[in-house]
Amino acid sequence: MTPSVAPVQEKGRAVNPLDKLGEEMDELLEGFTSTAIHGDLNRGVTQYTFWMLVASIVLLVLVFVFKKKQEACGLVPKGRFVNGVEFLVEYCRDDLCKGLLGDTWRKHFPFIASVFFFILVNNIIGVIPGCKPGTGCIGTTAALALVSFVYFIVVGMKSKGVIGYIKSLAPAGVAFPMNALVWVIELFSTFLRLVTLAVRLFCNLFAGHVVMGTFAILASLFFIPVMQQITPETLGLAGASIFWIAILLIIYAVELLVAAIQAYVFTLLSAVYIQLAEAEEH
Amino acid sequence: MGVIGYGLGVIGAALGIGLAAYGATTSMARQPEVQGRLFTVFILASAFVEALALIGFVVTLIAGA
Repeated sequence: MTPSVAPVQEKGRAVNPLDKLGEEMDELLEGFTSTAIHGDLNRGVTQYTFWMLVASIVLLVLVFVFKKKQEACGLVPKGRFVNGVEFLVEYCRDDLCKGLLGDTWRKHFPFIASVFFFILVNNIIGVIPGCKPGTGCIGTTAALALVSFVYFIVVGMKSKGVIGYIKSLAPAGVAFPMNALVWVIELFSTFLRLVTLAVRLFCNLFAGHVVMGTFAILASLFFIPVMQQITPETLGLAGASIFWIAILLIIYAVELLVAAIQAYVFTLLSAVYIQLAEAEEH
Repeated sequence: MGVIGYGLGVIGAALGIGLAAYGATTSMARQPEVQGRLFTVFILASAFVEALALIGFVVTLIAGA
């Protein structure tokens, strides 16, 4: 994303760095569409798949390092790393599983924890400049949402039986004609869960990165004139560039927060759906 | 035009998140001991509202392209 050198301005003509924003934005959005870096789009590795693989390897390494360090220090956790990971796991267990699922938390804890850590590591790797989030692509999030969707439906069918689960979509105690209508609406909203789970995670990551990229482009566009000729006007634009960089840093901090919150929200919603599928009456 | 439409759409989401934050803060002030549970509910509600704004964002990009 190197902005091309602007032609030297004629004297007396105002410099407007915003002129080139449009084409730069097109280039930025092009960078976010999936492109194959090996093979083709159907049977190859896109940049998102590549970073997802990196995230998975990082996650595996973290798990093994944690296991080794934890065994080394015995029952009492020592050190920032072991304590940090234990804090996350305990948060996931107490807040997400025990808090929402009640007695059956032990059965669903592995699924919920793996989804949480996978998304968290993917998101955080995506925030590092130069890396891309594996979850910033609709394919990945749709697959994750599908896994969660199939999981809670199977859980519901196991605990109530296939017919029982299909019947339980409509709340009991509603008179006949309304009953069918409510059932159809609930069926629709169940499938809508699949869409919203995928779209929410994808959009948050995608939108966040587009906004960060826009401010980075603005900062560079406003800084180019001062490198060509130093006049009071271009110095003013350079001052504005510093302002854009300050905003970029703030948005970067917000994105770090969003990375953690979106992992939390996806897992929380999965847990809520599992709980709804398991509940006796709702 | 699409950008203006997105701005209009965000007004709704902004009101929604604002209302959620308002409710969460007032009830936390009244009953500080339910803070943990309320935070979860607040994040959940914000996530639901925010999804609408984000759908608007993506539709804007698609319409603009």
